[in-house]
Amino acid sequence: MGLPDMDLPLVPSIEARLTYTDGSARTVYTTEVEMPFPEGRLIVSSTDLAGIITHANDAFVEMSGYAREALIGAPHHILRHPDMPKIAFKGLWDTIAAGQKWHGYVKNLRQDGAFYWVYATAVPNIRQGVIVGYTSVRRKPSRTRIAELLPVYRQWLEEEKAAS
Amino acid sequence: MSLNFLIAPDFAPERFAGWHMLNTTLQRRSGIHLHLLTPANALEQAQLLAAGKADLVYANPFDATDMIRTHGYIPFARPSKRFDEMVIATGAESGLQSVDDLKPGCRIALTENKDVKLIGLRLLEPADLTESLIDWLPVDSYQAAARRAIKGEVEAAFFLADAFASLTRMTCGQLRVLVESAISDISHVLLAHPRMLDSLPAIELALLGMGQAAGDADVLDALGLSHGFEPMTQEEAEFMIDLMDTLLD
Repeated sequence: MGLPDMDLPLVPSIEARLTYTDGSARTVYTTEVEMPFPEGRLIVSSTDLAGIITHANDAFVEMSGYAREALIGAPHHILRHPDMPKIAFKGLWDTIAAGQKWHGYVKNLRQDGAFYWVYATAVPNIRQGVIVGYTSVRRKPSRTRIAELLPVYRQWLEEEKAAS
Repeated sequence: MSLNFLIAPDFAPERFAGWHMLNTTLQRRSGIHLHLLTPANALEQAQLLAAGKADLVYANPFDATDMIRTHGYIPFARPSKRFDEMVIATGAESGLQSVDDLKPGCRIALTENKDVKLIGLRLLEPADLTESLIDWLPVDSYQAAARRAIKGEVEAAFFLADAFASLTRMTCGQLRVLVESAISDISHVLLAHPRMLDSLPAIELALLGMGQAAGDADVLDALGLSHGFEPMTQEEAEFMIDLMDTLLD
């Protein structure tokens, strides 16, 4: 079952319709409010092979704005922000499914429409030689690097919209 | 029967007596003779491990990765409510207020503790500082790191949070914390070599029972582990190792 549409935020927001790789879709609302990354902390989550969240640490729950109960069992794309071009995630699943590590700068969407930037690293959880799930750890990103990537992501997004 | 119990060399000097007290208690309760090994540094620890002399290990998480995944050590316990965190501090008179004030070429004092360096490097990333952009000053102890920072010989110093908390009030008063990690997922871990698995249940019972008998609190306080120990499963250790892996680069 797909995620329900987001609730309309109390502050001015922009509506967007997101379609996910599993074929589901939902309406999301984004605001210009940015949540600062919590100093000194790591945001940690794990998923099963299908990308369903199985573990979320306290920082993940706090930054997402959702209750833990709403996150566990939900697809990880619950965090997907419409400003993130699909190509930015290109190779993520292929990379970790091949047993390799993936890095990337990601703008995440909160439950209230606000956003937060992270530097994400995803690794496969390999047990007795078999991948049983994935873990993603986000740390405080470099603002310099984000500033460099913003126009790149914007261009990729425009190209994706033009192609669709 | 006699087993060697190796303690990672990253504990504060004042905890030394605590480890001997714990060793004595574990021996009495398990009926197994334990010979405590307290290597002075990482090199000495590596030599003891390479010689196959460690049956039981209190390992820092960085070393535990290799010991579990390469050498087959079995994780079975960890300190309860005690995580490995680190502090980046500067001299109180340095004028620096946050890690963003540290610039390429800055001097940072650090001990040989790899976990502290690894986490510290990740905390410096938001300031666009990488390992090669820092002028590292190796020191033998956290006290030496503090002295260097206080004297202004380095812009900052890396500390294991426990060691930072153990500094004297006067020393702490001459330092300013720039950032402190709050990861809450990485801890030291107790490991058993597969050859001692027959003896493990008795050791495990004695260790996890610490805190229940009269006098136990004194031992745990001496170790700086007032909440004692809790079980750690293989999967919990593997998860911690996966998390550490994400911090390597």
